[in-house]
Amino acid sequence: MTQKGLGHDHRRFALVDANSFYVSCERVFDPALEGVPTVVLSNNGCVVARSNEAKALGIEMGEPWFKLAARAKGWGLIQRLSNYELYGDLSARFMTILGRYSPALEVSSVDESFLLLKGAPEELVVTGRNIRSTVARNTGLPVCVGIGPTKTLAKFANRVAKQNPWMGGVCNLDTMPAAHVETIMSRVPVTGIWVIAGRLGKRLNVMGIHTIKDLRDADPVLIRKRFNVVVQRKVLELRGVPCIELETTRADKKQTIFSRSFSTPVITIKDMHEVLSLYAQSAAVRLARDKQVAKVMTVFAGTSHFNERASSFPSVTVKLSTPTADPVILTKAAVNALDGELIEGVPYARARVMLTGLSPAGAEPTFDEFVTVHERREIGSLMGKVKDKYGSTSIGLGAAGMLKPPDWTMSRKHQSPRYTTGWDELPVVKAS
Amino acid sequence: MILVSPMSIPAGFPSPSQDYYEKGIDLNKHLIADTTSTFIVRVSRDSMTGAGISDGDELIVDRSLTPEDGSVVVAVLDGELSIKRLRITARGVVLAAENPAFPDIVVAELSDLSIWGVVTRCLHYV
Repeated sequence: MTQKGLGHDHRRFALVDANSFYVSCERVFDPALEGVPTVVLSNNGCVVARSNEAKALGIEMGEPWFKLAARAKGWGLIQRLSNYELYGDLSARFMTILGRYSPALEVSSVDESFLLLKGAPEELVVTGRNIRSTVARNTGLPVCVGIGPTKTLAKFANRVAKQNPWMGGVCNLDTMPAAHVETIMSRVPVTGIWVIAGRLGKRLNVMGIHTIKDLRDADPVLIRKRFNVVVQRKVLELRGVPCIELETTRADKKQTIFSRSFSTPVITIKDMHEVLSLYAQSAAVRLARDKQVAKVMTVFAGTSHFNERASSFPSVTVKLSTPTADPVILTKAAVNALDGELIEGVPYARARVMLTGLSPAGAEPTFDEFVTVHERREIGSLMGKVKDKYGSTSIGLGAAGMLKPPDWTMSRKHQSPRYTTGWDELPVVKAS
Repeated sequence: MILVSPMSIPAGFPSPSQDYYEKGIDLNKHLIADTTSTFIVRVSRDSMTGAGISDGDELIVDRSLTPEDGSVVVAVLDGELSIKRLRITARGVVLAAENPAFPDIVVAELSDLSIWGVVTRCLHYV
């Protein structure tokens, strides 16, 4: 029951996303990778991006390289280590281009954005083609555009565009016969789009809801009763009723997260304290920059999911005595949070410090005695300035004040050059 | 109009240059037409010396420009980025070297060729 023609103020949502984004970024500067099965690995050696050719080999997301290495040569499979400077720069270029097509833009991830577009259905197909060709020409990135009356339908249209190369990378549901849209919906599993993840999918399957079409035709009141308003909104959005608006501002950011996987495992509690100190201080710098204070901190450490012999996943949430951005308080809280939870000698593969309950600094009155000496001296923003000028490891408090980069920071071996951000790593063109 | 001067104003003599203050020259503004499509690349070897492009020079490349006859381009040849002068001639498309010691490459069809970007400037060390 896709809305035909121009309902709802001529507004349409477009979802633009880059195909196999990390692999595509690598291919811009290394054209020899074109058509070659390629994976990009996280710094702990797991697959975080796959080219279509790699997907066709049956390689799954999250698979560790050591399980693929033996077969890689036979397959002609190429690996690259994630190069976040390169991906970040190309992402920024991509989003800048999108911003030229609509002032209403929601950057939903590094490789994906929603935009609001206005115009007749055929015009919007032309706009979609322009977006696609401009992004390809200016940045070298292949993108697909899905257009529909709601965000959920735009996401669905994007999937249709991706899986049907004959559409030329652009799908506007408004230009397709309703029966055709319905046929496709009846072939896409309910877990095939957005927010409907594995377990929720299984619960829907039990109710006889297997495809996108089944979900669209389900009773929204019953769905709300059995699940929640989020799933109910999916049903309505699939029927063409917009329920989810663009989030164009980041001002109401409710959390800040520092999360990393380590290149080599962290084995001692002392080293883990070092890691947590550094994350807490990075979080403090970010709070100071955003002029925010936090109420709650959650600290997590985890071993690799592929390590079956030693597993430990402690996670502790602490309420801070008063909303704060003070690096000294945050560091102490982060280090103390996992007291008695960490196991000495276990190889931890990642850690996370998350701050929630954020509010603008100074929004809530604080009693003077709760304002620490450090806060009055604004150590957080000072540390931010030093780090901006002299690098992220230039200054640190306590265990984070390290002279040399510790073992667990991201390994730079096997990484492609920072082609667009490092003067010493520019792409080389051959004059021969 | 009120101009904000960056210099302190001593009592007594007004600075004669004060009225002429403008922002300094911004190379980005003058050399880069579109930040989303501009890349810097570095040259290796000597086949383009006749075009004033030497080994080790940096080039400003704009991917959004349409290559024409005579454009210096970054082309994709055998999976590598190569710099040549594009010539559209009666015998077909030629990727010409600008140094007699290096051969030209003749491409049957323009569509067989992948042009990565068009060179707009050369940053040459003197």
